[in-house]
Amino acid sequence: MSYVLVVAEVRRGIFEERNLDSIGLCALLGKDAILLIPEGDYGMNEQLVNGLVRVKTEEALFLNPLNMVNILEKVMAARGKPDMIVFTNSASGIELASYAAGHFNLPVITDVNGYDKERGIFFKSYYSDKIFGEFRPSGEGTFIITVRSGSFKENAAGKGSAPPAEAIEDVAANAARTFVEYVEEEKTDVDITKAEFLLSLGRGIGNKDEIPDYEELAGLLKAVISGSRPVIDKLWLPKARQVGTSGKTVKPKVYLAMGISGAFQHIAGMKDSSCIIAVNKDPEAPIFQYAHYGIIADIHKVRDALKGILKG
Amino acid sequence: MNLIVFTKRVPATQEEELRITGEGKAVDLSKVPFKVNDWDNYSIEEAVRIVEKSGGAVTAVSIGDAESDEVLRRSIAMGAKDGFLIETGDVLHDPNARATLMQNFLKKENVPFDAIFTGVQSEDDQFGAVGGILAAKLGLPFVSMVIGIDATESDHLIVRRELEGGLQERVKVMLPCVVSIQTGINEPRYVSIMGVRKASKVERKVFKAAGYQENVVNKIEVVKWVYPPKKAGATILSGELDGMCKELLGILKEKGVYQ
Amino acid sequence: MLTQASPKALVCIQCGKCTGSCPESGKTLFNIRMLVRKKQFQAAVEESLPWYCTSCGACTIRCPRDVKPSEVIIEMRSALIENGSVPLALQKALENTFVQKNPWGRSRNKRAAWAEKLDFEVPHISATESKRLLFVCCIQAYDPRCMVIPVNVANILNKGGVEFGVLGEEEACCGNEIRRVGEFGLFEELQEENITNFKEYGVKEIIALSPHCMNALKKEYGDLGIKVVHYTELLAPMIKEGSIALKGSYNKKVIYHDPCFLGKQNGIFDEPRDILKSVEGLDFLEFSRSRENSMCCEGGGGRMFFEVEATYQRNAEVRTQEAVDKGAEVIATSCPFCVMTLEDPATEKGILVRELSEILTEVL
Repeated sequence: MSYVLVVAEVRRGIFEERNLDSIGLCALLGKDAILLIPEGDYGMNEQLVNGLVRVKTEEALFLNPLNMVNILEKVMAARGKPDMIVFTNSASGIELASYAAGHFNLPVITDVNGYDKERGIFFKSYYSDKIFGEFRPSGEGTFIITVRSGSFKENAAGKGSAPPAEAIEDVAANAARTFVEYVEEEKTDVDITKAEFLLSLGRGIGNKDEIPDYEELAGLLKAVISGSRPVIDKLWLPKARQVGTSGKTVKPKVYLAMGISGAFQHIAGMKDSSCIIAVNKDPEAPIFQYAHYGIIADIHKVRDALKGILKG
Repeated sequence: MNLIVFTKRVPATQEEELRITGEGKAVDLSKVPFKVNDWDNYSIEEAVRIVEKSGGAVTAVSIGDAESDEVLRRSIAMGAKDGFLIETGDVLHDPNARATLMQNFLKKENVPFDAIFTGVQSEDDQFGAVGGILAAKLGLPFVSMVIGIDATESDHLIVRRELEGGLQERVKVMLPCVVSIQTGINEPRYVSIMGVRKASKVERKVFKAAGYQENVVNKIEVVKWVYPPKKAGATILSGELDGMCKELLGILKEKGVYQ
Repeated sequence: MLTQASPKALVCIQCGKCTGSCPESGKTLFNIRMLVRKKQFQAAVEESLPWYCTSCGACTIRCPRDVKPSEVIIEMRSALIENGSVPLALQKALENTFVQKNPWGRSRNKRAAWAEKLDFEVPHISATESKRLLFVCCIQAYDPRCMVIPVNVANILNKGGVEFGVLGEEEACCGNEIRRVGEFGLFEELQEENITNFKEYGVKEIIALSPHCMNALKKEYGDLGIKVVHYTELLAPMIKEGSIALKGSYNKKVIYHDPCFLGKQNGIFDEPRDILKSVEGLDFLEFSRSRENSMCCEGGGGRMFFEVEATYQRNAEVRTQEAVDKGAEVIATSCPFCVMTLEDPATEKGILVRELSEILTEVL
């Protein structure tokens, strides 16, 4: 019975939204998605998949690549080899996928962001995302894929019925690598280069007194505040928060620039951010050439509107 | 501690406009400058810091053409004791093929190690898989996305992995092991040109890749290279203020930074 | 051929003239006299100090014993660099320069993109008869604000019937700032690359757009048998004798800021002034500190690429405030670094900063 094994990305009891991309890929391929997940209440919509395999083990053991290969062996012994094993392209997904590929000697294509059903090829980003490679496994047999977040989730759809579930037991814990503990982000010294989401303020904020309101917005969005040089020069923000050639170079997932015109030296410090959103009332501001999304509006008004929505 | 660090010479494509030639057969890199893979730079720095503190040696290994000697000289300038070049003119896209080549080399040449460092990924192919595949093939424990090495003991390491959303996990891994290093783990030292010149005095051994080809096969193939769909500058949101803000929040959610 | 200056630190009499003219002294911890003293005794220097220097050269010019304190600083920086102890932002600039031959890390292949804005084609230097090279400079090749300068000067030269060519993508950073931060090895590589190209194409004359480039090419590239001038040196006599005709008027109060590398370090004070004074309607004003005493904008010494701990008022602020106080509407200058450092505070104070070629372009 042909199937695709979707290895769930889970973390501290959460079923990550990125899993929808894995499930969506299966739908796109027209194949049954069997979800491999540790036992426990993950609150996921089980109807999205065709089957469940619950592993009776702690989440931390499940996420350990040394144990995952044993789990996969048990699954394949019970169900036969899947057409494909899919992981999310995440800290756990890539680690598990690559180790499994090495262990089972299977082809692996990572960070897939598209699929051409007609030709059976996967699109994968190359060279700073400037080129896509059209990849496919060279031969027949099981292969491994990791999917880029946001690539296939619109294909994920409910099947309309509760899926059958099995269990895997007796997963031995490999002592060569063990989970010790989670470490939360330090709240003391700010290191903007480590932030995933930066809310960056430019000269457009006008005056120092506006900053507390922006800080409140940042708090609601769980963003870290950073700034461009003029703001730091005026000592409205500390030096540690400066983005730019003479400050720090950042590559967050999202760079939300408010009131920043996009001077060359600033752009150099953030242009590799995965997603740049610029808010500026000047439609000619150079930053719009580098941003992925833009809002042409008064930044204070946008700030206040966002706060209004977030506070409900 | 004896550490092997794999380091790669990659095209610096971030600023370049790349051209595809031969109707998708190849990407023209002839006018693109080359540099050390950012992740590998962090790996070498981390390895050198470890041996500076607790003794041992760092051996830098690179797979590539003769020009890859550049990254070995750089590694030596930073403090590596040796540089080995596994010379090949082929571009190995498949991480499986690369990892098998590495495995063969390490076995045949009997290079001693307590740990192997690779970078999480390389800037050109962005695969991120070589470290994991190599570890599994060598039957060694593996930890990826390492953003900090908190303790180095005679038989294990305590490391921190970078997860999503600022969260980290602390992991204990027994030696010998394979670790893939994430950028930001340290601040790599500057390598001056004069420093690189001095490093040229240390011999870099060259091995021919042809001698380690057992089971090195491409399990994946590139059918064609294509350009990504064109982005027409910033997508400017429109409509009423409230609507645009809601749309903005939707984008933040999709990018995974806001729940 | 790189000649490393041997700072005769031992002959320093600690008179303090250097510190008296230093733009950083008094308001930062940087004290050039003290650093020379430390050099005399081979004493340890706190690592952050040598990075304050802006390479204005005032100390070296005023020293009665020819100690060349600015070279002392460069040597200290060089030692820090060899030790790997470099401000992070500067590291990036140096690494960028190594890979892409410009500190901004922009693609080498786009270095000639500015020329696309012209309505005539600029030939490669090899295709010219005069072998007169226009040396563009990194910031002017890549920064949108400064890109107008080579475009303007190219237009002006073209109108004046002056033949010139460019190296295009083959041009590498002149290395002036690279040498100032003490990376001698990298400076030598850049110098070698540029000189190889100069020789290959038989370059006879170089017109530099930036005083920094002019300084390096003229004084630090050795004796190449090539005449090196700043573009103002070429244009000033041409305007005087009428080969470049100025038509319109520029009815503004314009105050001129002498860049350190053009003025005090290379003695070019009059040509920019002659050019401005020949513009009709232009009301020419002088700063109280002008010519040899011009106030450094703090853009040199590599400080375009990194920041130092500074809680004091920037010179650029003081300078622009003086311009406002004197009733100026425009600050004119002839160096792209001065333009960049003065423009931020100037914009806030509602005063314009214009490079000379921008003013000329309006009255051509």
